[in-house]
Amino acid sequence: MKRQDWTSSLVWLGFAVLICTESLRLPLGSLREPGPGFLPLLVGVILAALSIISFVQARVGSSADRKGPWDASKRWKNLLWVLFSLLAYALALETLGFLLATFLLLVFLFRFGMEPQRWAWAIAGSAIASLCCYAVFELWLRTQLPGGILGF
Amino acid sequence: MDFFSNLQLAFSVIFQPDNLLFCFIGCLIGTLVGVLPGLGPVATISLLLPSTFHINPVSAIIMLGGIYYGAMYGGSITSILVNIPGEAASVVTCLDGYQMARQGRAGPALGISAFGSFIAGTLATVLIMMIAPPLARFALEFGPPEYFALMFLGLTVLTYLASGSMVKALMMACVGIFLGTVGTDTISGIERFTYRSYTLMDGIGLIPVIMGLFGISEVLFNIEEASKQEIYQTRLSNLMPTLRDWKDSIFSIMRGTFVGFFLGILPGGGAVIASFASYAVEKKFSKHPERFGSGAIEGVAGPEAANNAASQGAFIPLLTLGIPANVVMAILLGALLIHNIKVGPLLIKDHPSLFWGVLGSMYVGNAMLLILNVPLIGIWVKILKIPYPILFPLILLFCLIGVYSVNNNIYEVVIMILFGVVGYLMKKFAYEGAPLILAFVLSPLLENALRQSLIMSDGDFFIFFSRPISLLLIMAALFLLILPLLPGLRRRRQGGDLD
Repeated sequence: MKRQDWTSSLVWLGFAVLICTESLRLPLGSLREPGPGFLPLLVGVILAALSIISFVQARVGSSADRKGPWDASKRWKNLLWVLFSLLAYALALETLGFLLATFLLLVFLFRFGMEPQRWAWAIAGSAIASLCCYAVFELWLRTQLPGGILGF
Repeated sequence: MDFFSNLQLAFSVIFQPDNLLFCFIGCLIGTLVGVLPGLGPVATISLLLPSTFHINPVSAIIMLGGIYYGAMYGGSITSILVNIPGEAASVVTCLDGYQMARQGRAGPALGISAFGSFIAGTLATVLIMMIAPPLARFALEFGPPEYFALMFLGLTVLTYLASGSMVKALMMACVGIFLGTVGTDTISGIERFTYRSYTLMDGIGLIPVIMGLFGISEVLFNIEEASKQEIYQTRLSNLMPTLRDWKDSIFSIMRGTFVGFFLGILPGGGAVIASFASYAVEKKFSKHPERFGSGAIEGVAGPEAANNAASQGAFIPLLTLGIPANVVMAILLGALLIHNIKVGPLLIKDHPSLFWGVLGSMYVGNAMLLILNVPLIGIWVKILKIPYPILFPLILLFCLIGVYSVNNNIYEVVIMILFGVVGYLMKKFAYEGAPLILAFVLSPLLENALRQSLIMSDGDFFIFFSRPISLLLIMAALFLLILPLLPGLRRRRQGGDLD
């Protein structure tokens, strides 16, 4: 099996232990009348057991290491940019308002997401896309999108 | 009520103008996402889920259902023309469909997959009409232990069929059940794992989790992996299969329909498995199995019929037992719950217009899809050419708006991004998302059934083994859990994927 399996199974084992300790703080009830902590604890214990099995399988199996998960990632910088922009959008949405925030996000993604598009294209495309979304979601479907500093 | 009066009800519901419209929209969007690689039916249905809150539940389910089986039609287009499956259920179609296209027979390949899907879809609908009502009557006798056993079996089947390691799939099911317990406990009213967060009090939302795991993570993955795709340049002149093509494939379509339908009903089964199974069956039945992989039309017709029949068969457990057979059905269950419709054996009786209307929409939807696919194929090929760097910001935007608009809660957007990262890492480390989502949706039902069973039996786990139906279901599940441990079968299971 692959080396990546034992790192990931250790992470899940840690998560399972966390589930168990946190479940123990809830009333467990009895078998006759299981309480709110009963199922999470049960699941935590099973998850821990499975992680250990997975860990052992990964160690015992032949260590014919194939390509690690990160080798192929040439675009990991783009990936971080995209994640960063999504988080920034979530945090700025209510202050900037839907139209402005969306426009900025799209320009950024067109320009820095994968392959840089031309500025003119990126700006025009983003403007059209934001306005269309505004029309569909706010005006037609009546979703309450935040107005923000532009006030609408 | 007999078959014909039910049929009449079905058609009276679907031929209401707004239902007809939503059915059309669903089929159209379904084909579209089927064509676009990197945006599957799961992500799309969750994306559109919030927008259905404002329409009536019948129309909502009709539209979402249309997306699901519409995607089965659309997915085959990319498989045949580009050798890239538009979604997972069309992976097998690539094998012979693309070869047909290379031999200049893209037209008949597309034609037979559309007609095959149509025939399968229509037959599957008739089968549902015959099977669902008696099954629902039977299910009325189910108590909490039977429900628990059935859900346990469903989860086990899904993990058994998972393409990678079964241990990993079981781990994901555990994580899903745990995530489902977050929020206020329905029996005691005690808050679990909320850490005083207002957002978590009602539990982790289904939509942010699904959109994160299937939408955002898919995009992140594609940003890294996407390569330039080339569309097979071919003139699509003649879409009608010849008489010989029909003779070769009509029995494949029939077999595909039945294989697909029954695998679709099975909890945990679904269109992907059905298409693979049908391909294997066709290869067995064929007098010239060596032609498979080099453009055999049976290899397109069978699986395409099967994935369509399966996607419709999958409605049976949802509409009769209230148990979703796969992830898409899990989202539909979420939609029904949001519309305050009690799902279970009584659904057919309590909401006849919903049940029969959805079935009616399948007849009509399949006809619409045939029209959308055969004459309009040129449009879909054009859409295929939209480059991913332009497409992905729009997909991300839809995810953001979709999640935000559910509760106008910015923290749910953050949850979605978080699950996007988790889903991306899961893909990297070969963990499957489907068992997690199904377990997550079933978790509250599973927990209630388990706790009620134990209260009924005074804390005795033997209750699951003392009642015949639950005994049968639990034994089947345990059998599947033990099966991979048997040495002879292990290799076969791992070699089962078509490489």
